[in-house]
Amino acid sequence: MLEVREVTKTFGGFLALNRVSLRVKEGSFHALVGPNGAGKTTLFNVIVGRYRPDGGEVRLRGQKIHHLPTPKIVRLGVGVSFQRAQAFLSMTARENLMLALLGLKGGVHRARPLAAFEAEAARAEELLGWVGLESVADRPAAELPLGDLKRLDIAMSLAGDPELLLLDEPLAGLSRAERRQMVAFIEGLLRRLGLTLLFTEHDTDAVLRLADRITVLHQGEVLAEGEPEEIKRDPRVIEAFLGGGHAQG
Amino acid sequence: MRVWLPALLILLLLPLFLPRYPVEVLTQGFILALFASAFNLVFFQLGLLSFGHAAFFGTGAYTTALLVTKAGWPYLLTLPAAVLVAALFALVIGFFSVRTSRIYFTMLTLAFAQLLWAIVHKWYAFTGGDNGIPGIPVGSFATSAAGLYYLALALLAAGLYFLYRLDRSPLGYALRAVRDNEARAEAIGLSPFALRLLGFVISGALAGVAGFLQVAWQRSAFPDFLYWTKSAEAIIAAILGGSEHLLGPALGALAFVELGAFVQARTEYWPLVLGLVLLFLVLFFPRGLAGLLGRRDARG
Repeated sequence: MLEVREVTKTFGGFLALNRVSLRVKEGSFHALVGPNGAGKTTLFNVIVGRYRPDGGEVRLRGQKIHHLPTPKIVRLGVGVSFQRAQAFLSMTARENLMLALLGLKGGVHRARPLAAFEAEAARAEELLGWVGLESVADRPAAELPLGDLKRLDIAMSLAGDPELLLLDEPLAGLSRAERRQMVAFIEGLLRRLGLTLLFTEHDTDAVLRLADRITVLHQGEVLAEGEPEEIKRDPRVIEAFLGGGHAQG
Repeated sequence: MRVWLPALLILLLLPLFLPRYPVEVLTQGFILALFASAFNLVFFQLGLLSFGHAAFFGTGAYTTALLVTKAGWPYLLTLPAAVLVAALFALVIGFFSVRTSRIYFTMLTLAFAQLLWAIVHKWYAFTGGDNGIPGIPVGSFATSAAGLYYLALALLAAGLYFLYRLDRSPLGYALRAVRDNEARAEAIGLSPFALRLLGFVISGALAGVAGFLQVAWQRSAFPDFLYWTKSAEAIIAAILGGSEHLLGPALGALAFVELGAFVQARTEYWPLVLGLVLLFLVLFFPRGLAGLLGRRDARG
């Protein structure tokens, strides 16, 4: 589904990614872990088109995408959710979703009022139901708690019916209880939809529960890659981060 | 709508009862209201402070003035040309300016406008230089106080209705999305640069309509139409009226012009009074006069 091949990215003299490669198989949940500064978010931003790599390539279903801007990449069937929950705070949850639906179809230049787009309204209602936000649909996003904002963010990333979903630290900022709920929510929803998932996350328990495959980044390079059980036992990973047998981010 | 229609009805009846001078002052208020509302499209919807909107007001005005005096066009027929030329200038200036943000955007728009002002100010052979273009024949309809009043009111109403529709349309939401969160906007397929440029061009075109009207009001065109103080008038009107409300800049413009006429008839210290009013409003009514209407934003 997604292939990152020998990607290098520098900022000034700092080598943020050094010939990083990984493959995300169709239908898999693939985690990208590593400590702060390992290059996870940089790689995430290269994949979604926010950074242009200095070397290497990114392919989606065989098509090179590393030269494309974000709006074009998301229209190829890639859903994106950034590190901090991001919604348009001046709009309600429903308006956020309707705009996402129209934006991903290239339909924002039409003259009718947003509220008059019935098909999008129905689809927004469905998405709100998927993420359990029906009761707050007409509240401004600025008034939503972080957990709801995260759900809204994920719902927006699903608006274009993506085949591949990219989530950058979906649990960041949530309480322990909210994390458990979010992991169950992500697992239940995305497995049901049959999506391929690439995500970065610091929460070890969540990574081990969700991921079919894990890539460990360290100082801009791939340190290890494998199934969760392999990663837990990998001596390089243990030596680099864990100390206790967990693939800590 | 419950605010718009009664207000429009009253405004339609006013010239029947008022003498010429107050009608002319109100007309000037409508012109500034249209200009300030155009400015506010960039200021509120895009979250960018343009200090160069006089460029579009002025190019619209000079397009009309030049077409009437040099090509002999009837005044009213110059409106589409004024809109088009203002939009073209907005396209060029916006192409370079909307890539930048915050203070850089503000400074770039100011620099472009001042550049155009300097050209108009010195190009005697074409624009009349600092003498401007006086004595423009704008036709009997636009010469009569009531005629120009109704023309300005009609164009202001049309402009505000257009902005109202834009505000509720997906495009209006997309403009605000880019303002709220650029990265998120890109992740739902929106192009921030294209949207900012489109918003800037629409705003410039509307400012050109205001410039077109100003020519009839003064029957002249002057380089001051492009000077930074003209841009500042739109900013002051938006702050006075409240930028979050669709009617805010228009209310602010009317208050600015009416108060200005009232105070200047009694004292030479109008700038001092304006400064005090602005201080009072910013400190005690940060949402401007429209905040008194009790609605938080333009979609209420």
